[in-house]
Amino acid sequence: MEIVDTLGRKVTIPGTVDRVISLEPEVTRIIVALGAGEKLVGIDFFLRRHDHLFPLVFPPASRLPVVSNQGQDLHYEEAVRLRPDVIFASPSEWQAAEAIERKMKVPVAALASMGRFDGLLAEIGTLGRILGREGRAAALTSYIKAHLETAAPPSSGTGSGPRPSVYLSFWGSLVRTPVSYEPVEAAGGRNVASGALPDHLGTAGLTISLEKLLVWDPDVILIQGNYPPGERQVTVEGVLRDPRLASLRAVRTGRVHYTFGFWYWWDPALVLVETLHLARLFHPGSAPGGDLVRTGDVIFKEVYGAEGLFSALCRVLECHAWTTK
Amino acid sequence: MRGRRNRKSAAAFVLAAILPVVLLVLSLNIGAYRIPPKAVWSTIIDAVVPGGTAEASPYADILFRIRLPRLLLALFAGAALAVSGASLQAIFRNPLVFEFSLGISYGAAFGAAMSLVFLGRKVPPQAAAFVFAIAAVLAVLLIAGKAASQIVTILLSGVIVSALFQALLSLVELFANPYALQSLIFWLMGSLGQATWDDLALTLPVIGVGVTALILLRWRLNVLSLGDDEARALGVDVRREKMLVIGLAALTTASATAVTGVISWIGLIVPHLVRMAVGADNRKVVPLSAAAGASLLLVADDIVRTAASFEIPIGILTSVVGIPLFIVLLKRSGKVWL
Repeated sequence: MEIVDTLGRKVTIPGTVDRVISLEPEVTRIIVALGAGEKLVGIDFFLRRHDHLFPLVFPPASRLPVVSNQGQDLHYEEAVRLRPDVIFASPSEWQAAEAIERKMKVPVAALASMGRFDGLLAEIGTLGRILGREGRAAALTSYIKAHLETAAPPSSGTGSGPRPSVYLSFWGSLVRTPVSYEPVEAAGGRNVASGALPDHLGTAGLTISLEKLLVWDPDVILIQGNYPPGERQVTVEGVLRDPRLASLRAVRTGRVHYTFGFWYWWDPALVLVETLHLARLFHPGSAPGGDLVRTGDVIFKEVYGAEGLFSALCRVLECHAWTTK
Repeated sequence: MRGRRNRKSAAAFVLAAILPVVLLVLSLNIGAYRIPPKAVWSTIIDAVVPGGTAEASPYADILFRIRLPRLLLALFAGAALAVSGASLQAIFRNPLVFEFSLGISYGAAFGAAMSLVFLGRKVPPQAAAFVFAIAAVLAVLLIAGKAASQIVTILLSGVIVSALFQALLSLVELFANPYALQSLIFWLMGSLGQATWDDLALTLPVIGVGVTALILLRWRLNVLSLGDDEARALGVDVRREKMLVIGLAALTTASATAVTGVISWIGLIVPHLVRMAVGADNRKVVPLSAAAGASLLLVADDIVRTAASFEIPIGILTSVVGIPLFIVLLKRSGKVWL
């Protein structure tokens, strides 16, 4: 079977794939969501060391060999020992997939959503084909599409309703922001940094000055909260107390909130919960209501098949408060 | 001939006194948030005139909470790095010495890394950077021991301590959460954009005292730059004087680096530029370096604030622009001034 990966490379995949090494966390999560977790024979360093969610979603991961280091470089000898049928690499490094394929003589596909919903859906479809889980992939993509369509209130999608302007503080810095974050748009908001860099740079991060933030004067400020509270460099309380930001509309109206954000791209379930969370923050009156933690647990059950996963994540991140407000 | 040189020096001092002030005033008018020049002045006048109503101005927050702290930090940090570089180059009689040579930059970077990666918000990166920058200098002096006044010994000690902290920094990076790592990389690139009055209240007095003391010591730097034997023959306690200069340079650069992150090359390039302009007399080089360093960092900050819709980390700009500029000047002059 031939697939085209995220880098546009044509990769020939064996008809049956039973042993998979994944160096891309998002791919690994999707493999588990497709019900093919048992095919994983090696995972990357990040998922083992720094992902708060994956150990909850897929406990057998704690026994899987780690085949990369902090820099996502492959441990070749370990990889050879694991005899993979296919290796999934990150498309963020252009040369990595080619280099691994040359050395390992194993098909290497570079796959990731690159922070785009259409990319995520395509990635799920491609992985479904490779792993022989086309049916599950189709069900999952339909489920994601349906949730994205219902997340934003109808008025905001067409431009007839107000789309709040939104500033995102990501990557542990108040002044680092992504120029594209599709959950914001899907939830009926407008990213103020959108268009600040050329489109071909995708979701790239941007460093701005505090003055620029004052110029933008967003309705809502979102802070990446996908860290345990003690590790957060930027906090909601800190932003609300910062005298330099006191004149911002979002600060004056108290619309400064945590969100999840990129965590080595996305988790397919978490990004849906996040979009719902944002829709409620942006359009408190008209977005789908209900308890978000309970809704999150339902979404995670649908994607990963286990109960209470989102509640468990919320206990780690202490996000019950910011998702139930 | 001497008259012409004196006139040139006098002109340089007048320029040095005026330039940072003029640039500061101009820089107050520059920023992403457009403020009409008239409004800048009226807001400032309202703030300084007793009974003024500056707080009523819509621009007061931007000018006094964001722009002014940033510009003052640029002035003081630029002066600190340049004066320290000039002083260290003089006492070690070596044009390649600057804060990196004493391990200050890597010490500060390691401190910030420890804070960002392991300590969360319990110890701010500024405090940790300052503590480890000073620790690095103390380690250099400890390793050098009684031979600390010797050029080669102290530079070698500096190389060793820098290498150690560089390795420790890599070790911290190895264990860092990728997102803490991003904060660290951002810190290492240097930035003036996050300056607050709280930062300045701690930093500026230390830099002010250090820079003033080094300027007051400029006569002795001339004696020390003659060489140890000559300085001793003139009755100078070489070891004590060198320790004093190293201590003051370490204190000022550590204070600046702790708040700004690593801003390279100012401490190396500015003293050279000044020497090219007025010669190697430290009575001129040290104070003029303060003014030139302050002015250069202000201009660099104006560029990073306005060149694009986003902000370029200032450490990148000082390296990317500073190094080619330095090479051109070096080639033109055909020699290294000391």
